[in-house]
This record gives sequence, structure tokens and C-alpha cells, in this order.
Amino acid sequence: MGDLSHLQGQLVVGAILFALGAIGFLTRRNLILIMLSAELMLHGVSLNLTAFGQYHGTAAGQAFTVMVLTVSACEAGLALALILTLYRRRRSLDVNLWSNLGEPDLPKLAQDILEVSPAPREQPLPKLTPAGPLPRYPKSAPPAAKP
Amino acid sequence: MTTWITEHWRLLLPLALGWVCVWLLMPRGPHRSRALAGIFGLAGLLAVKFYWLPPSGPLLQDIFFLTFAAMAIIGGVLMITDHNPVYAALWFAIVTLAVCGLFLLNSAPFLSAATVIVYAGAIIVTFLFVIALAQQSGSAMYDRRASHPTLATLSGFLLLGCLMFTLQEWGGQAAAEGGNAFLKVPAGTTANLGSVATEDLGSLRSVGRSLFTDYVYAVEIAGTVLLIATIGAICMAPRRSQGNL
Amino acid sequence: MFDWLTKESVLWIVPAAPLVACLWIVVVNQFVGRQRAHRPLVVAMFISWLAAICLATTIVPEKFAKGDHGHGEESHGAADHDHAAGHEHADHEHADHEHAAPAEEKTPADETTPEETTDEDEEESGAENAAVADSAPPPMAAGAAGDAVPVHEESSYGGELPRGVTYPVGNHAVVKFVYQWMKVGKVDVAVTLRADAMSALMLVMVTSVSLLVAIFAGGYMHGDPGYPRFFAAMALFVFSMCMLVLAGNFLLMFVFWEAVGLCSYLLIGYWYKKPSAAAAAKKAFVVNRIGDFGFILGVFMVWVTFGTLDFETLFGNPAFIPQVLNGIDPAIITTICILLFIGAIGKSAQFPLHVWLPDAMEGPTPVSALIHAATMVTAGVYLVARCAPLFVLSQTALGFVAIIGAITALLAAFTALTQYDLKRVLAYSTVSQLGFMFMSLGAAAADPVHLMQPAVTFAMFHMFTHAFFKAVLFLSAGSVMHSMGDVIDMRRFSGLKKVMPVTHWTFLAGAAALAGLPLLSGFWSKDEILAVIWDADRVPGYGLFFGAILAVALLASLMTAFYTFRAYFLTFHGPERFPEEAGHHPHEAPPAMAWPLRILGVAALLVGAIAGPTHLYAHYLHHTPGLPVSEPHGLNYVMMAVSSIIAIAGVGFAWMVYGKADRKAYNVQERYSPAYELSLQGLHLDAVYQALVVRPMQALSELSETLDRLFVDKLVDAVGYLPGIFGSLVRPIQNGFLQSYALVMLLGLVIFVFGVLRAIAGM
Repeated sequence: MGDLSHLQGQLVVGAILFALGAIGFLTRRNLILIMLSAELMLHGVSLNLTAFGQYHGTAAGQAFTVMVLTVSACEAGLALALILTLYRRRRSLDVNLWSNLGEPDLPKLAQDILEVSPAPREQPLPKLTPAGPLPRYPKSAPPAAKP
Repeated sequence: MTTWITEHWRLLLPLALGWVCVWLLMPRGPHRSRALAGIFGLAGLLAVKFYWLPPSGPLLQDIFFLTFAAMAIIGGVLMITDHNPVYAALWFAIVTLAVCGLFLLNSAPFLSAATVIVYAGAIIVTFLFVIALAQQSGSAMYDRRASHPTLATLSGFLLLGCLMFTLQEWGGQAAAEGGNAFLKVPAGTTANLGSVATEDLGSLRSVGRSLFTDYVYAVEIAGTVLLIATIGAICMAPRRSQGNL
Repeated sequence: MFDWLTKESVLWIVPAAPLVACLWIVVVNQFVGRQRAHRPLVVAMFISWLAAICLATTIVPEKFAKGDHGHGEESHGAADHDHAAGHEHADHEHADHEHAAPAEEKTPADETTPEETTDEDEEESGAENAAVADSAPPPMAAGAAGDAVPVHEESSYGGELPRGVTYPVGNHAVVKFVYQWMKVGKVDVAVTLRADAMSALMLVMVTSVSLLVAIFAGGYMHGDPGYPRFFAAMALFVFSMCMLVLAGNFLLMFVFWEAVGLCSYLLIGYWYKKPSAAAAAKKAFVVNRIGDFGFILGVFMVWVTFGTLDFETLFGNPAFIPQVLNGIDPAIITTICILLFIGAIGKSAQFPLHVWLPDAMEGPTPVSALIHAATMVTAGVYLVARCAPLFVLSQTALGFVAIIGAITALLAAFTALTQYDLKRVLAYSTVSQLGFMFMSLGAAAADPVHLMQPAVTFAMFHMFTHAFFKAVLFLSAGSVMHSMGDVIDMRRFSGLKKVMPVTHWTFLAGAAALAGLPLLSGFWSKDEILAVIWDADRVPGYGLFFGAILAVALLASLMTAFYTFRAYFLTFHGPERFPEEAGHHPHEAPPAMAWPLRILGVAALLVGAIAGPTHLYAHYLHHTPGLPVSEPHGLNYVMMAVSSIIAIAGVGFAWMVYGKADRKAYNVQERYSPAYELSLQGLHLDAVYQALVVRPMQALSELSETLDRLFVDKLVDAVGYLPGIFGSLVRPIQNGFLQSYALVMLLGLVIFVFGVLRAIAGM
């Protein structure tokens, strides 16, 4: 048997992480950050599992954590693919853009016309960490690469 | 009501402080009093430290634990409140690292290494790539405004309160009885679960044995899930032939 | 060896043949041989007619008490017993064969009712009365099995109860159980065919007139686009009418009472594209409903009072009704009778509800002849006659019948005086003649015990003769119409004598019979009615009442003779004039129309003379079970003389006004006078109804419509809006924002965890 107070500390931290993840999931409007918040919640859960595993002196907790890790990796991969697809449609990561439930012939409710951030202006290329001099664009060509 | 509050102030005080901190930090436009929030947060952390995380073993272990716990909690709070998604992702990396440290303290070195590799090495990098691809103009409007800040924080802290209340009750009971029924290993599962020695707990050998004996089906299912997720991600991801991003 | 087969079958063949014809026309002739659709009906009517003749001549008389001609007091009990005993043996052998199947259907409960429908053979045995005595001992009948049943009641009826009524015993109806319709609790309604002397005679009348009219219609309706529809409806009508006559209980009678109303509606509105025809059909249907309402109420009252609707139970045992009524408020029987009579008022077009019949002439003329003159409208008379055992107990109801009959007869005759539409003249005359029949029935009020039988007899007899001469009149009018290009306005043609000789002679025969010229049908039957009223008049205490009725009857007779011959002279005499619709060559009716006319014309002349003075009809009808027995009536020579004089006077007056060969064209304007206008407009009854009934109803319906639109509709709309309002209240929850859903989920989780915690911690 492990240490009870150690276990309690681990559980408290796990619970706090889980709650923070939940809050993040609810408040962030960026699709990617929503995903990250979910991962945060998973962290809290993993912490719980390993703490209990240690307390009981079995490897089961760690085996479960490996499972959680696997699933979260899968989830992250799929979610990112989905987010990219959604982004390609709207050119925005705002989750509130994807709230169109109503039928097309019905008048919109007040919430539907709520502040929905306009799609940001198109950028020609991903602005990765600049390395070296900025590429020179031909002045005549429009910056948009969108077909 | 009053008596209940006075009885449970140990539980309520850090919760209230933490809620004020998170609520203040919630992205809601340009004006945020970070300093005030920091004060509240710090007070909350200290309250948690003193009322919830008593010294439990060797000093060094306690120091490590407290450090990692503080890192995880502070990182988590900042991750969910930061305006810039890139920073948020980086805060998440810090949380991950802190959690890995906690894993170490939980005698799970293999898991700790694996988490660092998988999260820091793969997932966060992927997130960063996506953020970089999708959001080139820094923090967007939707990152500067939280949805339902009050309601969401309230309900989140309510949940936390519930969880911690549970811990408090059980902890008290466990301390009184020397172990609660919920914290005991069920009688019939001991042989099955293959209890291992503490020094052998986090080793690759014991985890591997557990995985490939007791949880071999779980491993198989995890493999299948990975495969399916791979195929799905490939199918869903936008192609160059259909246009860039 | 087929004796039993015939006996069993004839009863249902009569209605079944037209039903089969109707189905055949609907199924086959609708598609194949549309212009030959009359053939199935004619064939079916011929079969039906043969069956009815067979029924009236052989089947029904077998059930008559032998040697009993209504002299109930003279005991023939011994003879009956011998006869019954002799028959019993033989019949029981039969019964094993012929009643094997029905006997199996009998439940033990049925055996408690002695008048069970299937064992009519056994009813002849004296055991029946014993069974009656067992189950419900009548006051006097138990000991006098097979004898006349004198009913001496010392009850609350006091003077109103007919003392010393005697009923013939031994007369029975032929009853055929067809189908158990429904059996709910005490309500046991079977489809039962029941034929006695009255219904047999009625059937003979219905089928013979129908047969001839069917043949006539085959020629008359030739080329009409709805040919099969017409004959299908007509076949359905004949079926319904036969079933109405044969119905074994009140409910079945009501069903087919409605069915003939429906067929009448279908046939009046046969040319449904004509607005007047559609309106007339609607009017007939609606007005009939009022009467039917009274009828069904009467049926309910009968059920409540007697606990049965079965004719055989009600009328088969003469002691049944007085026994049930013993000690019951006499107003009940009066109410029953008046309610039933209201049904008769509607169907037989009596005074307040007679307005539909003249309008019903919008239908094709064969329909007018068959339904609205000869058969259907007489159903009311038949109903009252059928219920004579009930009416005999209520002098009030009978008086009411007499008053209504007198008013109708006079009013309709007065209206008919000035009509220039040939068919409407005949229609009003029908109404008037039906009034005569009801007067005859009502004449029994003076002395129900002794006058009921002659009253019923002569009403039915007049109905019988009237069917023939009115049918020939209508068919002749139809022939005129056919020839004149569907013009029936007497102002527009005249002098058709030479052009249409056959029609002229047949119309003359019918008109003479209707006018009651001596020795013709109408003379005999109308004379008998006058004689009955005369007898009623001589009963002490009723002299004034029936004196007035008699005066009305005589006046109506005079008018009848006048307007009949007015129509005859206007149509067939005077200068030859044709409407332009007739074309250049008005033609005599084709043979298919001419021969029925000839046959009916001869019948109109002779039927009365054959059956009247010889008392053939009366003696046959006296065998109707349940009819009270009284002394036979001789001929009333005084009344014969008076009515002959009246008829001849009426005809002569008509000849003086309209019969001159050099008379001018008919002109309404010249003849205008307030009285004339009153008669022409039928006493303005239509306008009165319009003002008293239709207008208020319209106002009411408009009011309801407005209320409905402004209030009820809005209420319904509001109910419809409610879900929308509630939906829009909760709609914000479903806002589509992912995080709102997640928030709700989290709150749910919190509540769940909190609840679990409470449970675990025992808070």
C-alpha cells in the first residue's frame, strides 16, 4: 500500500487539471484549443490512474494510461484532420461558425446572428517562423493562392 | 448554510479563490487585471497547498511534487486563458511536462517518457503546425472572447468542488479507518492484477508484462483504433489536389 | 316435393330479385350494354311479381284460420285444433328437414319466446298458446286456445280502453328468419321477413306497378346518358320497398324506410346537373328526415314500452299489447302512435311536411309514377295500418290522424285546382288522395273497436286502387312529356287527343278512376272511405267532428273530379297546339311505353270493380294478424249515390270551364284573383316555410358561421400557436453552439455527481 496523503495530493492535482480542462473546453472558441482542453482533461485522468496504480502497487494503472495515451493520440490526429477540413470551408477556427441548426426557410433567431467573428483576411502563405529574408512576391500577382 | 460554510471552509476557500482567478483571466476583451488574478491565484494555490497537500514523505519528493503540481496547475490556467493559441499550446506542453514529472513521482518512468515523446514530440508539434497553418494572423477575435465565461467557470469549479468534497470525505474516512473500501484492492483481483514490488512498479518490464498478459486485448484494440484513426485522418485531411488548406 | 322449397323461398325471392338486378346493373351493365340496363330489372321484376302473386295466393292463405272470415266470436277452436293436430304430425316431419339448419342456430334462450321466427309451422299447433301462458300469462287467452280472444280490461284506461275488442286467433304470418343482425343485451334484432295478408297485398301492388313502370321506363329513358344508374337506383328502390313491406320488426322497417328515402333522393336528383332537381332532391331528403325523426322516436318508445320491436311478438298474439299496457299511463300509447304517425306524415307527404312531394316531380316521370305516386308515399299509410293494433288503443292519435288527413286532402286538392304543370297537378292529387287514406284510418277514432278493421281495410284498398290509376296517370303524363319534348306546362300544348290516342285513352281511364266516376276503381275505394267516415259520424258524440271531416272529404272529392278533368281537358282537348321543343311530329308512345299504359289503364278501371263490391280485398285483408275483428260492412248506397253525383258534377264543371273545343289558350293573367293566386302558390306554404324555418335557420347558420370563423377558428388557431410559442421559449436552448451543449452536459454531470455524493455520503 502506498501513501495515502501522497495519493490525495495526486488526486487533487488530477481533479484540478480535469476541471481546468473542462472550463477550457467550455470557454475557448478556437477549435484547436478546445481539443487541447480535452487533452488537458485526459492528463488529469492519467494522473489519477497512475496515482491509484502506485497506491495499489499494480501496473494496471499504467496500462490504462497507455491506453489513454493511445486513444488521445488517435483523437488528436482525427480531430486535427477534422479541424483542417472545417477550416478549409470557413477559413476560420471559430467553433461558433458551426452552429447552423436552423432550417433555411425559417427566420434566424437572435442568437444565430450573434457576434460571429468574420473570417480573417486571407493570407498568402503560412507564416511559419521566418528564416532568412522574406520571399519577394511578384507585385502583379495577387497574393491569394486560393483557386 | 452558514454552519455548512464554516464547516467546509477548507474546501470552499481555495475553490473561491481559484474561481476568481480563472474568472478574471478569462479572455473578454482587452482589459484584464492579470495582477489581481495572479494574486488571487497565488492565494488559491497556497490555500490548496496548506489545506490539501500536506507533507507526505521525504522532503525532496514533496518539493518535486509541489513544483510539478504548481507547474501543471498554473500551466493549465494559462493554457485555457491565453489569447494566443500558440502560447496556449506551449503552456499545454508545460502542463504535459509537469504531468510527466508527476508520473515519475508515481513511479511510472516509462509512462513519463512515453508521454513526453507522444505529446511533446508528436501531438503538440502537430497542434502547433495546425495552428501555424490555420491561423497566421496571431490571436483572432474568437480567441480574445470566451464564450460563457462566468457560467462555464462556475460549473467547472462546481465540478471541482464535488470532486474535492469526495476526496475530503474519503480522505477523512480513510485516515480514520486506515483505508476505505474504495481504496482497497478488491479481494478477488489481487492474483489477476499481479501486484508488483514498488521498486519494480514503473519498470518497462512490469508495464510490458501487465500489458501483454492482463491487458492484451486492450493492446489489440488500441492497435486497431490507431490503425482506424490513421486511415480516417488520411481520408479526412484536405489534399493538395483538392486545393490547398 | 318442392312444396317446402317454394314456401321457404318465395319470401326472399321477392326482394332478392331486384337486389340481384341492382348489383348486376351496377357491376355489368355499367360497362357492358349500358342501353340494355333495363332488361335485368324487368326480368327481376317479373320474377318478383310472380313470387308476390304466389305469396299472396298460396303461401299466406295457408296460414289463415280456416273458415274464419273475421267472425272472431264464433268459436272455431275445435276445427282449428283438429286442423292443427292433423298438420302437426305432417309438419313435424317437414320440420326435421326444413328447419334443421335454423334449429341449430337457436340458442336455449330463444326458446322462451314462443314467437320464434323459424318455427312458424309449430305456431299452428295449440301448444303455442300454452307457451304464451307459461311465459307471460295473458288475462283471458290462456284458457281459450285457438279461440277468439276477447279482451275485457278493468284498468286505468277506463272508457278509453276498447272494451270487447275481439281478435281473430289462428291467423298467422309467414315468417322467415334470414340473419341475426345484432344481439346486445336485451336488444335482439334479426333480419326477419314476415308476410301476412296486408303485406302480401302491398307486395302484389308494389311489384305489379314496378314491373309495368320498369317496362315503361325502358322506353321513356331511352338514350339517357345515365341509363344504368337510373335502373340501378330503381332496382334498389324496389328492393328496399319490398323489404320495408316484408320487414319483421320495427328496426328493419326503419332501415328500409330510410333506404327508400335514399332511393327517392337518388332518383329525384337523377338529373343532378339541373339545379332545380338537385334542390328538390335535397328538399325531399331533408323534409323526410323530420318525419323519420318522429318515426325513430316512436320506435324507441315502442322498445321502451313493450321491450320488443318484433312484429310477430307485438301483433302475433293479440293479448300481448293490452297486457303490457295494463296499468300504464294511456298517454304513452298515444305518444307512440303520434310519433309513428309523424314518420308517416313525412313519408306520405301529409300536411305540414307535404311540400317536398310536388317538388319531387323534378325527377324522371317513371320515378314520379312509381315512387312518388304508387308505392313509396303509401309507406306511411302502410305503417299506420300495420300499427293498427297500437292505434286502436288511442282514440286521440286516431283523431289526430283524421284531422291531418282532412287538412291535407282539402289543402292539396285546393292547390291542385290551378296548377298548370301537369305533373304537379298529379302530385297534389297524390297528396290529396293520401289525405283521404289517412282520413279513413282516422275515422276509426269514433269507435276503434268496430271501425278499425274497415278503416284499415278501406285505406289499404284505396291505396291499392290509387296505385294503379295514379301510376297510369303519371305514366300518361310522362308519355305526353316524352312526346312534347320534355314540356309539361299545360299552357303550352293542348288537343293531343288525335296525336296520342293511346295516351289519351289511358289518361282518361286514370282520370275517370281518380275522379271517382261510378263503377270505376276510385269510385269503389273512395266510396268505402266515405262510408267509413259516415259510420264514424253516426257514432254518438262524434257527429260534429266527423261531420266536418265528411264535409271536407266530399268537398275534396268534388275538387278532385274537377282538377283531374281540368288537366285532362287542357291536355287532350281544345285546339291542337304543340310547343316548339316537340319538333314537327309529336309522336305516340313507342310500344314499350304504350303497353304498360294499356295494362295499367285497364287495371285502373277494373281493379276496384273486381275487388270492391265482391269484398275480395276486404276478406283477404281481414286475415291480417292483430287486426281487430268487426262485423262485415255492406255497401253504403247513400254514399255511393252522393259521391257519384259529386264526381259527375266535378267533371261537368271542368268540362264547362275547360272542355269546350273553341276555348281560348290558357292564360294565367286573365284568371287572376286572390283565391287563384293562393291556390297556385299552394297557400304560399313554401313562402311561409321560407320565412318561418329557412330564413331563421339561415340567419342562425350565418351567425354560427361567423362565430365559428371569429371565435372557434381563432381558438383552434391559438391551440396551434401554443406549441410554437412553447417551442420558441425553449428554442434558445437548441442554439447550435457546441459549447452550450457541452456546458449543459457538464452541468448535468455536476448534478449527477452531486446526487451520487449525497447518496454515498448520506447527506
